[in-house]
Amino acid sequence: MHRVFTAAALAAALGTIAGPAQAQTYKIGIAAGLTGYAATVDRAWTDGVRLAVEAVNARGGVNGRRLEVVVEDNRSEPQEAVTVYRKMMSSDKVDAFLSGCVSAGNLAAAGMVARAQIPMVLCSILPQNEEHVKWAFSTLPPARFEVEKRFEYLKENTQIRRVGVLHDPTPYANLQKGVAEKSAAAYGLTLVGVDQYKQDDADLSVQIGKMNAAGAGAILKIGLGGTTLTAAKNIKQLGLSTQMLTSIEDLAVFRPVADVLGDKFFFVAAPSQVVDALPEGPLRKAISDFLGPWKARHGERDPNWAGRGWDAVMITVAAIQKANSFDGPKVRDAIETISGFQGTTGIYNFSAANHQGITVNPFVLATIQGGRVRVVK
Amino acid sequence: MTSPATTSPPSGRARLAPALLWAAGAALVAYAFVAGGYLVTVLGFAALYAIFVTGLNFFMGYTGQVSFGQNAFAAIGGYTSAVLTTAYNWPVFAAMPLGIGAAALLALAIGYPTLRLRGHYLAMATLALGMIVQEIAVQWDRVTMGYTGIAAIPPLGAFGRELPNERAQLAALLAALALAVWVASRLKHSRLGHALAAIAGSEDAARALGIDVARYKLIAFVVAAVYAAFAGSMFAHFVGFVSPEVFGLHMVVLGFTMLYVGGIGTVYGPLVGALIISLLPETFRGFKEFQDLAYGAALIVILIYAPKGLASLARLWTRRGAAPDAAAAATAGTSRGDAGAAR
Repeated sequence: MHRVFTAAALAAALGTIAGPAQAQTYKIGIAAGLTGYAATVDRAWTDGVRLAVEAVNARGGVNGRRLEVVVEDNRSEPQEAVTVYRKMMSSDKVDAFLSGCVSAGNLAAAGMVARAQIPMVLCSILPQNEEHVKWAFSTLPPARFEVEKRFEYLKENTQIRRVGVLHDPTPYANLQKGVAEKSAAAYGLTLVGVDQYKQDDADLSVQIGKMNAAGAGAILKIGLGGTTLTAAKNIKQLGLSTQMLTSIEDLAVFRPVADVLGDKFFFVAAPSQVVDALPEGPLRKAISDFLGPWKARHGERDPNWAGRGWDAVMITVAAIQKANSFDGPKVRDAIETISGFQGTTGIYNFSAANHQGITVNPFVLATIQGGRVRVVK
Repeated sequence: MTSPATTSPPSGRARLAPALLWAAGAALVAYAFVAGGYLVTVLGFAALYAIFVTGLNFFMGYTGQVSFGQNAFAAIGGYTSAVLTTAYNWPVFAAMPLGIGAAALLALAIGYPTLRLRGHYLAMATLALGMIVQEIAVQWDRVTMGYTGIAAIPPLGAFGRELPNERAQLAALLAALALAVWVASRLKHSRLGHALAAIAGSEDAARALGIDVARYKLIAFVVAAVYAAFAGSMFAHFVGFVSPEVFGLHMVVLGFTMLYVGGIGTVYGPLVGALIISLLPETFRGFKEFQDLAYGAALIVILIYAPKGLASLARLWTRRGAAPDAAAAATAGTSRGDAGAAR
């Protein structure tokens, strides 16, 4: 009996590896960090993609085909990402990848995805290699936008001219740090300290104290996760009046930070996080189209990352319609011609030379007062 | 003092157990070559880790020491290959030996003072080594590109020709693995291997027998580093990408799991462990969010029923088969004795 069971288990295992037969749907593959350091962001992105797919299917799909989502957990690790990308390519036969924000995982798999001529619309930064980037597009706004918004505020609304930069070692944070170093002078600002921390650091008071000693009136905090609250607590414990201006993040992370720092805390916000403050227009309409089903399903959960996942699906659908084809190379070519596309994060203007679609800064600087998110004018 | 059981030719059952294991492994590889797909990727990673763990086994299994820092040497092999082939256009087979050589030199330099430590102290020192090298990979971003990683690393190849597809790369990895296991097997049964076994038994007793313990431990450490660097370099060319996360603590934990699940101290344990640990998560992938639960449960079951590793199961099966035979022989002998006495 146990031999029969063993044979059945082996057959099931091989069946899992060999995969099911291809169905007549347009398959969207997502390699996302459902576990590991990127879990919060990538789960939101994945839910946004799923929601958009349901919305597209509810109106009959695209060009006669329904969309289907295949999600695999890359555990926020590059090696696991390579395995799951390969699995989705060979077993699930996905037609496009709309993968999450684990940059290293997407970059590790970019070569084989490019060789297979499958378009990718990503949450992460783009590959550096010329052949790889040809097949990859990003919904992530350029790193300089987040820095510029904070520098503008400091220049125009405060007397602070000496600033510190505190960042984690991730690629996107490093890009922002580089922008800050290059552009501070243009805003009349001086960087008196640039320090790095690790995402699991439990204390940042040394770096913050050093910046304060150098005369920093504000700190640009760049990076995701619990260290934002750690930095806020350290500023309070040290008894400083330093302002903290953080990069974009889930609102659930920001609320306790606002409780600690009060009016000394500011953050870069995506349009979907401050929808009530937006004027009537195409952006607000695009966000409302997404926020309706999002709130119905997920309540008050932060919509920022999910909104980008929603955008990625809508961009892919627009490209299929424009190409009038499901063929990978044709869909890729069509994405390159998408311009003036209104998404939840801003307007996407792709071209052969620009695969990072958002070209106009969509961000605002915001603060939390009395539990409500308010835009800083 | 040699027991008759060890000198007598192996029974049919004793031959059958490993033969069945090899046949199952060969069938899986053959299926991968025919079907292609991501099973090729999974087996490729299994082969890479089997090389890495074979080296770790040399230091931990044969010599009885502990190292949490083998990822450091894999990183040196991987990054040397990656940097030289992408930034300086070196051929793969020129970059690879340099990375292995660099890892061996570092192992020599680090091992000389460190291997005077024992037990937990040695474990902590090697753990620090792994963390330091990973930190260098993060911070020295002008060369390593930090967390962005190095992409577009050329695939395995020689004489200006690259292996055309993943199947060919898997074949190259399996050939490298066969070589690595053969060398490990030869070393285990050499004078060096016997000295290491003596050290694993008792360092003081080995020293009393005239074995230069520090020297042999250093040799084992360097050999393990060479294997790790070889695996790291092959990883870079197989995947085409390296970043600090690839060579993190995750690699150490995976290596340890493979070693203990396969069978520490055995030649084929690392092979079995790498294969099973690489295949298990894929087997349970259909379980979705319960995948980790099923994987963890499977590991617990394996470690309960095969505490000496899966490689020991074949031996156990052989013994169980031999036990009734021995009992029958003993009974027959007794009967004959009785008969003789009666006569």
